[in-house]
Amino acid sequence: MPKKDVDLKFVAQNVGHSSRATCGACHFNGGGGDAIKHADMSRQLLKPDRNCDIHMGGYDFSCTECHKTRNHKIAGRSSSVPVAEGKVTCTQCHSDEPHYCGSLLDHHLNNHVKTLDCNVCHSPVYAKCKPTKTWWDWSTAGDKKRKPEKDKYGKPDYNKKKGGFKWEESVVPDYAWDSGYMNRVLLGDKVDINADIINLTEPVGSINDSGSKITPFKIMKGIQAIDADHDYILVPHLFPRNKKDKTAYWKNFDWDKAFKEGMNTAGLDYSGSYKWKETWMYWRLEHEVMPANMALSCVQCHESLKSDKTCNRCHQDNREIDFKKIAHKGTDFSYMKSKGRDVGHLIEKTDYINFKALGYKGDPIIHGGRFKKLPMGYQKHD
Amino acid sequence: MIKKIIVFAGLILLTAALCTAEIWKAPDQEKAKERAKEVVPFIKEYKDDCQITRRMSLIDAGISIKNVQDVYFLLDSPVIKKREDHYEPVRFAHKRHAALTKDCTKCHHFRPKDENALETTRCSACHQDSFNPDHPERIGLKAAYHQQCMKCHQEEAKGPVDCKGCHLRNVPDHKNLVKLPDNADPFQVTAECLRCHDTQAEDMLKTAHWLWKGPSPYTTGHRKDIMHGKGTTALNNY
Repeated sequence: MPKKDVDLKFVAQNVGHSSRATCGACHFNGGGGDAIKHADMSRQLLKPDRNCDIHMGGYDFSCTECHKTRNHKIAGRSSSVPVAEGKVTCTQCHSDEPHYCGSLLDHHLNNHVKTLDCNVCHSPVYAKCKPTKTWWDWSTAGDKKRKPEKDKYGKPDYNKKKGGFKWEESVVPDYAWDSGYMNRVLLGDKVDINADIINLTEPVGSINDSGSKITPFKIMKGIQAIDADHDYILVPHLFPRNKKDKTAYWKNFDWDKAFKEGMNTAGLDYSGSYKWKETWMYWRLEHEVMPANMALSCVQCHESLKSDKTCNRCHQDNREIDFKKIAHKGTDFSYMKSKGRDVGHLIEKTDYINFKALGYKGDPIIHGGRFKKLPMGYQKHD
Repeated sequence: MIKKIIVFAGLILLTAALCTAEIWKAPDQEKAKERAKEVVPFIKEYKDDCQITRRMSLIDAGISIKNVQDVYFLLDSPVIKKREDHYEPVRFAHKRHAALTKDCTKCHHFRPKDENALETTRCSACHQDSFNPDHPERIGLKAAYHQQCMKCHQEEAKGPVDCKGCHLRNVPDHKNLVKLPDNADPFQVTAECLRCHDTQAEDMLKTAHWLWKGPSPYTTGHRKDIMHGKGTTALNNY
């Protein structure tokens, strides 16, 4: 129910289109507060800087201009929840050949679209304007003595109700092959209790699948409880229902009671014994796309272009074209640093997306692409 | 007295600073809005070239996408708005359209007769008021936009052809439409909204935002299910 002092007649007489503020009232606060859950959405987007989000900050886009609605169903695939009512992709507006300005690079950039999600290059860091929570250890909650300490961003590392945290800003995403589909652990699903890490959500994709693209993710990591006998994730009862509530964790600080009541409400058995386990959730990064001139440069991924040989590995062109300049044109992390962002360590970074971790033998320019037989300018000593 | 004046002036400056600090503007959008407000002089005479001749002459003159100065603009002309104002502005990616069509004359189909004028000009320079008795051959700006955009989108089978695909409808002023007592409670408000919007209410009740569950077509093993969501089976670690 709305607060008592809200003039509902005034509200009803002033209805309007949805806006970043109306959607953001919930979606900017995922995880219990501003920028906690989403790495690419926060209250910054109410009045965003152009460099933080070109669509909203440069062109004043509202959410529903991309997340089109039909009969109140809103398009968009969340990675954190299974339900989806249609999908939104960059290419719906920008097409499969989004680089069109007639630059010498357009052909290569449009080829990259077949293998890379746009945000790999166009949003090379997440939480670029505000720190987001990346680690949440529920097992340490309930410690009356532990005093929260503030990190370098001024964010607390602990909350008695919630446990231990880590916050990060301007983070290099984790990259994975993504076909657009996800594996999910749902309520009651058995998990491998002996695994080091349990992925609650993970992208489905492969380097060998032409429909999969390298995609940037924020991985939310944390420690949470699993039923030691039933091998499924436990759902605690957190919020007290009323003053007499004897089981809510945030009132009584007793995990056993909270799991018993939580699982009872969920309609699942609780064995009475639990185990803390590390779990990860992969969340696709979709928002806070930067202006085109802030995209990654060729050399930031392709180490092979860092030396003297660049485009002239293949192009025998002796006109006055500055190949080196082309290969180096892109995100200026020193500029971002000058604007107060925590990106000093990225200024000279190369192999940005880590080719080997994605299944390549190394830089595809040297070792060949995933479907191409011929590498470019291969030399044995490479 | 002087002190008082200084304090007063200081307060004014401070208030001004606070006010300006609060105004946020999206720079590219702001530029486009300013441009959209402009009404340019009406071009009475145009050169009646056949389109293919014109296309070749532009190519010969070396005019192409590289000459495009306005990458993006808004179609929101006062020429239309002074007569009727039912829709929000249309975002128009000018350079992108130039790149896709690779033919400036698809839209810039004629040029001003004045040889000193620029080769291309705005739609609203030639198309202004409809049914201008001095220029019965000219369609108005609204018709020109709609015929041009929709015809091409249909022919190319690309781009929107429905109203909402390009522009939102303005929300009608609800001041007089909404009939509620002062201090109305939430139930009265909902009932009043439903008086007109009963279909939308029925739709809303079937959505994921209302039910907190729904179809999960992108989740492996559950692609045909319709009951997963935060309200039922979704798990998280935060």
